[in-house]
Amino acid sequence: MKSKLFKRESYIDYSLIFIILFLLAFGLIMLYSTSSYEANLDFGDSAYYFKHQLVMTLAGLVGMILMSYFPYRFLERLALPIYIISAILLILIVPFGKTINGAKRWLIFMGVSIQPAEAAKVATIIFTATMIIKVRKNLMTLRGFGMTLGFPMILAGMVYILTRNLSSAVIIMGIAILMLFVSTPGYKRYIIFAVAVLGFAAALVAIIANSEQTSGMNYRFERVLAWLDPKAHASGKGFQTLQALYAIGSGGVFGKGLGESMQKMGFIPEAQNDMIFSIICEELGLFGAIAVMLMFLLLIWRLLIIANNSPDLFGALLVIGVMGHIAIQVILNIAVVTNTIPNTGITLPFISYGGSAVVIQLAEVGIALNVARNIGRE
Amino acid sequence: MKQRKVSSDIKFVKWMRKKLVVLFVLVLLAFVGLGVRLILITRNNGEEYEKQILSQQQYDSTTLPFRRGEILDSNGTILAYSEKVYNVILDAKLLLRDEKFLEPTITALVREFGLDQGEIRTYLSEHPTSQYYVLAKKLPYDQIKNFQDMITPGMDGYDANIQGVWFESNYIRKYPNGSLACDVVGFTTNDNSGMYGLEEYYNNTLSGTAGREYGYLDEDSNLERTTIPAEDGDSIVTTIDGNLQNIVEKHLQEFNDTYANAFRWGNAANNVGCIMMDIHTGEILAMASYPNFDLNNPRDPSKLIGMPAVDENGKKLKGESELDSGVYITEEMLETFSDEQLYQNYNALWRNFCISDTYEPGSVAKPFTVATGLESGSITGNEVYDCKGSLEVGGWTIRCHNRYGDGYVSVERGIEISCNVAMMHIAQATGVSTFTKFQKDFGFGLKTNIDLAGEARTEGLTYTADAMTSADLATNSFGQGFNVDMIEMITSFSSLINGGYYYEPHIVKRIVSSSGSTIRNVEPRILRQTVSQSTSDKIIQYCNRVVAGEEGTGKTARPAGYMIGGKTGTAQTLPRGNRQYVVSFMGYAPSVNPQIAIYVVVDRPNTQYQDDAKFATRIVRAVLTEALPYLNIPMTEELSEKEQQELAELHEKMITPEVPEAEVAEGEEGVETEGEADNPEGAEGGETAQEGENPDGTVDPDEQREDTSSIWETFDVDPSTGYYIDPNTGNPIDPASGYEFGGDTLPDFGSGTGNSEP
Repeated sequence: MKSKLFKRESYIDYSLIFIILFLLAFGLIMLYSTSSYEANLDFGDSAYYFKHQLVMTLAGLVGMILMSYFPYRFLERLALPIYIISAILLILIVPFGKTINGAKRWLIFMGVSIQPAEAAKVATIIFTATMIIKVRKNLMTLRGFGMTLGFPMILAGMVYILTRNLSSAVIIMGIAILMLFVSTPGYKRYIIFAVAVLGFAAALVAIIANSEQTSGMNYRFERVLAWLDPKAHASGKGFQTLQALYAIGSGGVFGKGLGESMQKMGFIPEAQNDMIFSIICEELGLFGAIAVMLMFLLLIWRLLIIANNSPDLFGALLVIGVMGHIAIQVILNIAVVTNTIPNTGITLPFISYGGSAVVIQLAEVGIALNVARNIGRE
Repeated sequence: MKQRKVSSDIKFVKWMRKKLVVLFVLVLLAFVGLGVRLILITRNNGEEYEKQILSQQQYDSTTLPFRRGEILDSNGTILAYSEKVYNVILDAKLLLRDEKFLEPTITALVREFGLDQGEIRTYLSEHPTSQYYVLAKKLPYDQIKNFQDMITPGMDGYDANIQGVWFESNYIRKYPNGSLACDVVGFTTNDNSGMYGLEEYYNNTLSGTAGREYGYLDEDSNLERTTIPAEDGDSIVTTIDGNLQNIVEKHLQEFNDTYANAFRWGNAANNVGCIMMDIHTGEILAMASYPNFDLNNPRDPSKLIGMPAVDENGKKLKGESELDSGVYITEEMLETFSDEQLYQNYNALWRNFCISDTYEPGSVAKPFTVATGLESGSITGNEVYDCKGSLEVGGWTIRCHNRYGDGYVSVERGIEISCNVAMMHIAQATGVSTFTKFQKDFGFGLKTNIDLAGEARTEGLTYTADAMTSADLATNSFGQGFNVDMIEMITSFSSLINGGYYYEPHIVKRIVSSSGSTIRNVEPRILRQTVSQSTSDKIIQYCNRVVAGEEGTGKTARPAGYMIGGKTGTAQTLPRGNRQYVVSFMGYAPSVNPQIAIYVVVDRPNTQYQDDAKFATRIVRAVLTEALPYLNIPMTEELSEKEQQELAELHEKMITPEVPEAEVAEGEEGVETEGEADNPEGAEGGETAQEGENPDGTVDPDEQREDTSSIWETFDVDPSTGYYIDPNTGNPIDPASGYEFGGDTLPDFGSGTGNSEP
């Protein structure tokens, strides 16, 4: 295998690499701009977040290169171990988890904090792709379909129950469903499913919005109320959203200029995480924001090309999983920032602060690059 | 290996590619949707949000308060200063960043400031994102010092776990001497702007410039702080001598304690004022009035009790009868006051009687009449007039205080016994144009421009030469028919006795910066020469007789061990015949080479018969008895046994003895009623003002009372009070028309003077 790999020089998707490098560099710049004020206040070092993210980004790039040389077909055999490891990591949170910002989602391993939920996402991609190949014949049966969906669901359930991280659970399920969507014929069940989900969500929102009781309410319910009317909850759950909207609105077409954001000075808490896109809007305006979105679209487009040209279904499914992962996170993140959906903690891939996320996402890109490398073979 | 082969053989078939494209299209649609939403937010709310953001930014720049300058007396005693105080601010968001901060911080807050733990916890749980909550207000530095150390790195007791608490500093105004010189000092409102007195007049001087602290990001996105420090205000050093001020206020208080509720319910007088002035510089040494108030708590309703109530224009409410001095505020009345009424009355309390209220001066104007005559050459001082008890002027009979006549009255004796007829003769000799010109020179009808807020505008309260009739001239000669305020009178009087130099009165002698350097020295400023040295000498000679002379009206003003000079005044008020008087004494000490002038005015003393200048002379005597030794003026007179005893007591207790009763009974005169008559235009028959002054120390008032009582009784509404009001009330002028002691029921002089009620 190895010899074969090195023997035949193959396709390298430079545009994908360029897009990734661009997003990473841009992300680091924006991260520094966004976090320096708070970093200076909290740590006395305005580059605190920047440095951490830079180290993790470099580690992620190394991981990406390694993965791009790692024959993706091996992943099929490693699928079960990877799945089990990620499940164990999630379970380890219960005894060893570290609480940051009131959420117990991190494991400290040799001085590096990792977020098992991120690992679960990549595990989902690999395991689901493997499952689809395995039960391919029976995929359309209820049992086959259910089994393929069942394993990610277990992982998602663990993420939700063990780390109280609904958004990561939703993303895991989203990735699995998108992969199934592409690999099974027909639209009917997906349309029904989509309508059912939307209907359920609408009903839930209606119930919450009309419920009289405000006390003792689940904090997610409050987020829904804050979503419906952020100004009424300006001092509570709606604060972050409202401030993000202010940031977007005040940016105008070309923004206030890089580094000129006022909202990052304490008004949008932890802006370098979920809300970094609002600071991009404020500093670079609509122009910058749409440019960033176009870069993500290009990224997704490149992944689509790779998947379409993949030498086999497994490779295509892996790339589709990666593409689904990135697309879901980007869409949900921007939707949250623009208050299109209720606030939930979803980061913007490659740009938001978060070491585990950037390493995992770059590893996923590495897998996609490896698939690309095999284009044209056989 | 097999498995891999198998799986790698499974191709990504065409329908799957199609579905992938569908997926991509869905993603694309989502992106487009979000892009449109971004555009809509920017377009629809951009401006509003931008403003919102700018308004939020104030959070990052704080105002640094300035310290208002101090007000000091001439000895350096602090009359007003500003103290830095601190508000304790809780930043819940900062505190709740980490659980480990919570307990140490709350423990420290409870220990240092005695705050309620439960309340803090409740607030934190209800407002976890609040960044500004005032836990405690206006604490002095002592109280926050410990906590300050705990949150300052490097200090003893520093605890890194105490977070989310900071101090906001501000200044509060304090008046360490309470009510001392309240009218002069004035006070400040919460926003540091002065009200009344020096605080208002020197507001700009005392105020500094607030500083500002800005936070911004430099090009490296480091948070930088720029501080524009506050500039503290300048301090002012006044000419007020705290000790003299104290003496004056003590005796005004004593006067009130003695006469409050004496005849009617209420204070001892509607107003009592006293000014002491250095006649060679125009510096005010003391200035006080009663009622007073506590500068630290100017809105203390209890201070209003006993004061005459005022209406929305600041005019005193009229009593049921014309004979009432006013409607006096009682506790019950306070409860019925609306906020507005309360405020009106506070304004009456806060205003400085000595510079803001005008009244007809009465006989204290006589030295000016004589000075006018001498200075203009109209008289030589050697004239002798025949007083028959009244004088026919311009068709009206204007009476002297002594209806039987004083006989032959020289100019000197005219002042000594306060003879109206002699003054009218002198004024006639002077003539209208010279008389009015001199009035202007003396500053009547002009502001003195003393550096205090609220000086009355007296323009229009005196006559112009064109408007003055011979009757006006006659009444003006003894101080009726025109209005003045206290500062005008004493300033001008000082010029009469210091050789004619009219100094601009002032109360601030130095302005000092916050660092202690002198910014401005206020030098005495001579505005003009009113009279010559020789005239001044003669006025002193005459005025000395008022106190020293056998028949002097101001004998009771003489303090033990000293000889002083001066002039009494007993002025009628409007409407004539209301039996309401303003009594006063304006004098100087010592009688040879005078140094200081003193002027006491008692507006409507609380007594049945108000026309008695002794209400004023007793205050003057009491004040000078203490003040002159303090000023190191040597005693010139021998002390009688009684006086020695009095002074000994004073030394012992440092309080002024009451004026012995006996003296009062003996009272020489002081009783004057002056009236003025004649109304040029109105002229309905009335005329006759009665003025009676009973200069004759030997006449027993009782005798006179008897003499007049029967006549009075026939007209008095209340026969029980009918016995003796004023020796002249028996005047049979016109019993039918009913103006007895009013005789002077004349309308006042219309437009010419516009009397304003004090």
